[in-house]
Amino acid sequence: MIPENFIQSNLQGISFIGPELILTLAILLILLVGVLLPYWRHRILFTILAVAGLAGSVLPLWKLPQPAPDLTYLSNLFVWDWLTFLSKPFFAVVGVLTILLTQVTGEIDNSEYSECTILVLAVTMGMMLLVASTDLLMIYLAFETMGILSYLLVGIRARDERSGEAALKYVLYGAFTSGTMLFGFSLLFGLAGSTDLLAISQKVAFASQHPQDRLLLIVAILFFLAGLLFKTASFPFHFWCPDVYEGAPTPITAFLSVGPKAAGFVLFIRLFYPLFATGHDATIYEAVSGLDWPSILALVSAITMTLGNLAAIHQNNLKRLLAYSSIAHAGYLLMGIVSLSDLGLRSVVFYLVVYLFMNVGAFAVVAMVASAGGSEEIDSYRGLGARAPYVCVAMAIFLFSLIGLPPFAGFVGKVYLFAAVIYKKIYWLAVVAALNTVISLYYYLRIVKAMFLEKPTETIQIQVPLSSRVLLLALLVPTLGLGIYWQPLARVVSGMF
Amino acid sequence: MNSLYTYLFLAALLFSLGIFGVFQRRSLIGMLIAIELMLNGASINFMAFNRFLAPDPIVGQIYTLFIMGIAAAEAAIALSIIVAVFRRLRSINIERAQELRG
Amino acid sequence: MTDLIFNVFILLTIIPCFWVALSSNIVHAAFSLLITLFGIAGLYVLLGADFIGVIQVIVYIGGILVLIIFGVMMTQRGKLLPLSIQLPGKLFGAVLTGVILAALLLSATRTLWPVAAVLGEPQLTSAAIGDLLLGKYLIPFEIASVLLLAALIGAVLIARRSVRGE
Repeated sequence: MIPENFIQSNLQGISFIGPELILTLAILLILLVGVLLPYWRHRILFTILAVAGLAGSVLPLWKLPQPAPDLTYLSNLFVWDWLTFLSKPFFAVVGVLTILLTQVTGEIDNSEYSECTILVLAVTMGMMLLVASTDLLMIYLAFETMGILSYLLVGIRARDERSGEAALKYVLYGAFTSGTMLFGFSLLFGLAGSTDLLAISQKVAFASQHPQDRLLLIVAILFFLAGLLFKTASFPFHFWCPDVYEGAPTPITAFLSVGPKAAGFVLFIRLFYPLFATGHDATIYEAVSGLDWPSILALVSAITMTLGNLAAIHQNNLKRLLAYSSIAHAGYLLMGIVSLSDLGLRSVVFYLVVYLFMNVGAFAVVAMVASAGGSEEIDSYRGLGARAPYVCVAMAIFLFSLIGLPPFAGFVGKVYLFAAVIYKKIYWLAVVAALNTVISLYYYLRIVKAMFLEKPTETIQIQVPLSSRVLLLALLVPTLGLGIYWQPLARVVSGMF
Repeated sequence: MNSLYTYLFLAALLFSLGIFGVFQRRSLIGMLIAIELMLNGASINFMAFNRFLAPDPIVGQIYTLFIMGIAAAEAAIALSIIVAVFRRLRSINIERAQELRG
Repeated sequence: MTDLIFNVFILLTIIPCFWVALSSNIVHAAFSLLITLFGIAGLYVLLGADFIGVIQVIVYIGGILVLIIFGVMMTQRGKLLPLSIQLPGKLFGAVLTGVILAALLLSATRTLWPVAAVLGEPQLTSAAIGDLLLGKYLIPFEIASVLLLAALIGAVLIARRSVRGE
């Protein structure tokens, strides 16, 4: 007999996973429409279904009770706190932007379009579950749902050589790192005898007092890091990133660079803060005694941003360049994680929101230029400013924001991240990050210079369809708006921790 | 003999040999096989801890069950990608898949 | 008697493992993995998990391994491709493996595992697993099915494409 209390718990918790249920319904609907109505296989139909599913998925959130840090549901598998509450709409926006970008750029064929939307929805569902999970079993399952299906998204254009090979790299490295992370989970399960993060955190705090157990904890932390650093594309698991980002269809690249990466950072917050940090007083955490993981991560952060920026200088392919820039940004974001304070966590979340718009924007421009007859090489951007002024101004704004220049949103995000490390007196990391910003200035401005200051090779105007212009506008508004009027977002974020 | 340590050593050995295999192999399917070894190492850990010390004795077994399901999905997808790429390249050695490096 | 069976399964697990990692022949590696997986299934049964042992045989050997062997056959085309090519990663891999193995063995012996004083008698587990899968772990179970569905769609898509592309 199934114990009555589990049935009760499942019935009560079902409303909390409303977003995921609606996404699953949308997946099934798209599948049915694709199979039953073969003559209706128009892109626009699937786009509408998918966007409606994603938009509908956030509706149940406002019906739910006030989030609280200890409000768990479904037998302690998930937690309903502010981080969960805000992450779900975030990932829904990521999904919507990806679907719209696929719709307006034609990089995915009609014959595989419905499957592509299904996969985007399923990965989004995985990310939504991942950020809410507080159980090692659920974390692993959601992590793999997100991971395995994104390997497929990368390889969806299998007839294209680059896409297939990128998917191959992604799947092998991904399986390797998630296997390593799983072994770390198994060690923690052994230590605590439970998969619940709360139970494990008590056990870890106890075990860290004993020198005998410390080695095990260090090994477990390092194994976790393999999975997390892979997903966030940080050193030493960053090497897949340029190849995969270049080989994948551009809308999917944009998706990977903000979706799974953000999920990786939220998982960082979920795993490291409850497990390996103590004390919530005065908004400052402390690493569990004897385990100096913040210093390790600070080093990783410095190396990641430096490697990313130095490698980006030599790139002539824009997708590759943005891939290295995305590695560098993983380094910047890690600064917020290592600062071990509420300020740091807030700055990570704030920057992730800002990064979503500016990075998807930059990739969107790359995809639009490529589909309007240009290429992804920097050569085809020479003199583009005269041929497609609107797109190029948009690109310049996204790039300025990625550099972190005022008055764009990236500037505010970076100020928060710098403030977090300076507040914790990790001055050397702030200096490294500042130097890196200077390096990044060079390669971002190289694109701007090519667009506006160099002679065009052709003079024909590039026609960008209206739908693309509207999508770009939708990305420009937050990139500019959050740079000038960021207080609402800052207020929302500061309520989280 | 039938003690926790035997199983832990066994799991550690399987996991390390899996890692070694991933670095050693240049064939994509070979790497996949080595990764299966790593996953099995983790599964043995879960099962052994489950038997010898977990107060809630079935959780580890459930975890192993989920690992198997996920491993199956992962293997199916990895193989479908490998086969798709192979049809293009006529070779599954990883060197050929490195045209992207630049 | 149990000790003898235990030792047999341990050896069945360990010895083929080295072939899996070291053999230069991919077919040998795949078949060695079969024996290893079978040995692990036996160990699961000795750990009191009869159900998981059977599932290990069905899913891993009957499913995943058959899939891998199919993959080997579909991509071999008669001649075995040379597997070992000198790459700088190899020595690094060996050193890394050594460090990890040493750290794992050391931490396994040093850690104070909260071992239960008295081991419970092994019981039939299938009923308990069923209860948990339909009770506490119902939602993860359903999520796994969504994962498998989406994976199925994607795998078919990729395989179909490449057939048509030829």
